[in-house]
Amino acid sequence: MRRARRFNINGMLVNAAALVLVLSYALPYVYLLMTSIKPAADVQQIPPSFLPAVVSLENFREVLQSSALPKAFASSLTVAVLTTVLSLAVAVPAAYVATQYRRRITTLFLLFALVTRMVPSVSLGVPLFQLLKALGLLDTIPGLVLAHTSAAVPLALLLMSAFFEGVPKELEEAARMDGCTRFQAFRKIILPVMTGGIAVTALFTFITSWNEFLYALLLTSEATKTAPIVIAEYNSVYGLAWGAMTAAAVLYSLPVIFVTLALQKQIVGGLTFGAVKG
Amino acid sequence: MSAIELHTINKVYGNSFHALHDLSFDIRDGEFMVFVGPSGCGKSTALRMIAGLESITSGELRIGGRLVNDVDPKDRDIAMVFQSYALYPHKSVRENIAFPLHMAGLPKAEIASRVDEVARTLELTTLLDRRPALLSGGQRQRVAMGRAIVRKPAAFLMDEPLSNLDAKLRVQMRAEIASLQRKLNVTTVYVTHDQVEAMTMGDRVAVMKGGVLQQVDTPQNLYKRPDNVFVAAFIGSPSMNLYEAVLNGRTLTLGSNNFEVPERVFEYRPSLNGASHRQVIVGIRPEHMNDAAIRPSSAEISAPVTLVEALGSESMVHLNIGAPWVDAGDPDAVADIGDERAAVARFSPKSTVRAGDIARVAVDAEELHFFEPVTRTSIW
Repeated sequence: MRRARRFNINGMLVNAAALVLVLSYALPYVYLLMTSIKPAADVQQIPPSFLPAVVSLENFREVLQSSALPKAFASSLTVAVLTTVLSLAVAVPAAYVATQYRRRITTLFLLFALVTRMVPSVSLGVPLFQLLKALGLLDTIPGLVLAHTSAAVPLALLLMSAFFEGVPKELEEAARMDGCTRFQAFRKIILPVMTGGIAVTALFTFITSWNEFLYALLLTSEATKTAPIVIAEYNSVYGLAWGAMTAAAVLYSLPVIFVTLALQKQIVGGLTFGAVKG
Repeated sequence: MSAIELHTINKVYGNSFHALHDLSFDIRDGEFMVFVGPSGCGKSTALRMIAGLESITSGELRIGGRLVNDVDPKDRDIAMVFQSYALYPHKSVRENIAFPLHMAGLPKAEIASRVDEVARTLELTTLLDRRPALLSGGQRQRVAMGRAIVRKPAAFLMDEPLSNLDAKLRVQMRAEIASLQRKLNVTTVYVTHDQVEAMTMGDRVAVMKGGVLQQVDTPQNLYKRPDNVFVAAFIGSPSMNLYEAVLNGRTLTLGSNNFEVPERVFEYRPSLNGASHRQVIVGIRPEHMNDAAIRPSSAEISAPVTLVEALGSESMVHLNIGAPWVDAGDPDAVADIGDERAAVARFSPKSTVRAGDIARVAVDAEELHFFEPVTRTSIW
């Protein structure tokens, strides 16, 4: 009896802590959402109100009618999708080899990937600018994709390595005994088993590129400007368009939310991925 | 023809670890060969080299007369059952079994009929549409077997396939695998660390230790005529009791006990003749020691009883023989409770000896084993 009661109290404490955590994450976003549906005049009122007095879609209409934002969305989407595809194409086989064919060199390789994550991206901005300039790729989609990929590959590599650690080596060996080459075993057996892990990695890579601001600011101008830059430009020398900025930010967050919800099952499966014991 | 021939096979890893030393023997067509030995003896390495999953440093490996040292696993026409089963978790039982046939490019109709046939043989028909995660350990084991036999390969390789099953199921599957192998008559190499599996399943058993082949023979010969101390102790459960002793003429001195060795022993071990205070290692199997009160013998010793384990059908009696104990060199051997040097005797359940008694033990002296103390090889 006493144990059951203690369990309940523990459960309630855990729930309360989880609620506080969720609210602390959700509150800024909810405030953003609330601001975006306020009429332009109410957005900057002093003192600010949390809930809108009147619900208005005026801000959304304004940002969608402007020419800059839809174009920036298209740039962001193209760059994020290409970055995700390119990063996975590099990181998935590399992580598999690094974990399943472990040598001193592969351990160093993973360590090096970890170290590159620790270098502040701002310190890589200038060399990247010079590199892309020399290659004639400044303010181009391929240029920004390459820059984003350089940042996303180490993350994808580390994530995929963690997932591959859970794959028994016998799976590839069984496939090889069953008539596969090493590559066929990887393609026909290992990759399908890893869909959860690949989905999680793809999502994180996509988000990394989708949210990236610094490289986009340094390496693009008018032609390939991405949405985060356009959103930031609502705060300009001519004034701060709070309403439009929050509406654009809400719109910009929607694809990530939808993708996360759509891949929910794979993501949970991927995050809780353990031994793939047949 | 699917005989497997190993000729002076060596395996040296990058860190200079010499895992296998000059492994040489033949596995006959249709034979059930078991590799057995303690952990790290190289038995799985040898199997993986036959599979092609491990490179061969030197030596020759032939399957069906063909040199396969550098042949890919997929081109060796052999199937393997792994310890973890290695079933493909994203495929159904049907797809798992059919996979090697798909890879071989067989027509769909033939694949379907062969999968159905194997499923019937292994009683998997009702499970064909399930994923491996929904199967019990025994069922997964059967699917792994199905995936191996569906190809009708030249040889089966099995790497401790029963070690993940509980004791009861292991006994059942042991019999099933052995009878399936007899039925299919396919050359089989089976790796285990369990000597009971080795003895009950194999036509012949290769005993390995430290990467060196100790003896390859029929189970009966390994038990009756072990080549050395290690094989003598490894085969048989409980292990053979091994002690230093002195042979003088026909009299054996074991600790403070003396008894006469029968004439027959000297007939099949002629090298023992004319011994004069000769140091030997003497081996006595537990089943060759009994309670002298129940089954008297001309060779008797007295020893204090340290422990009695009554198992119903028999009693394991631990005795302090008082002679220097000999370590057989099995790294996996578990020391007996209390005193690792205690001899174990398999007494009749009618025996009334108890811990603390001085037992009179009848030794079946015709069944004694003798080994050289230095080389640790059998004296014949």
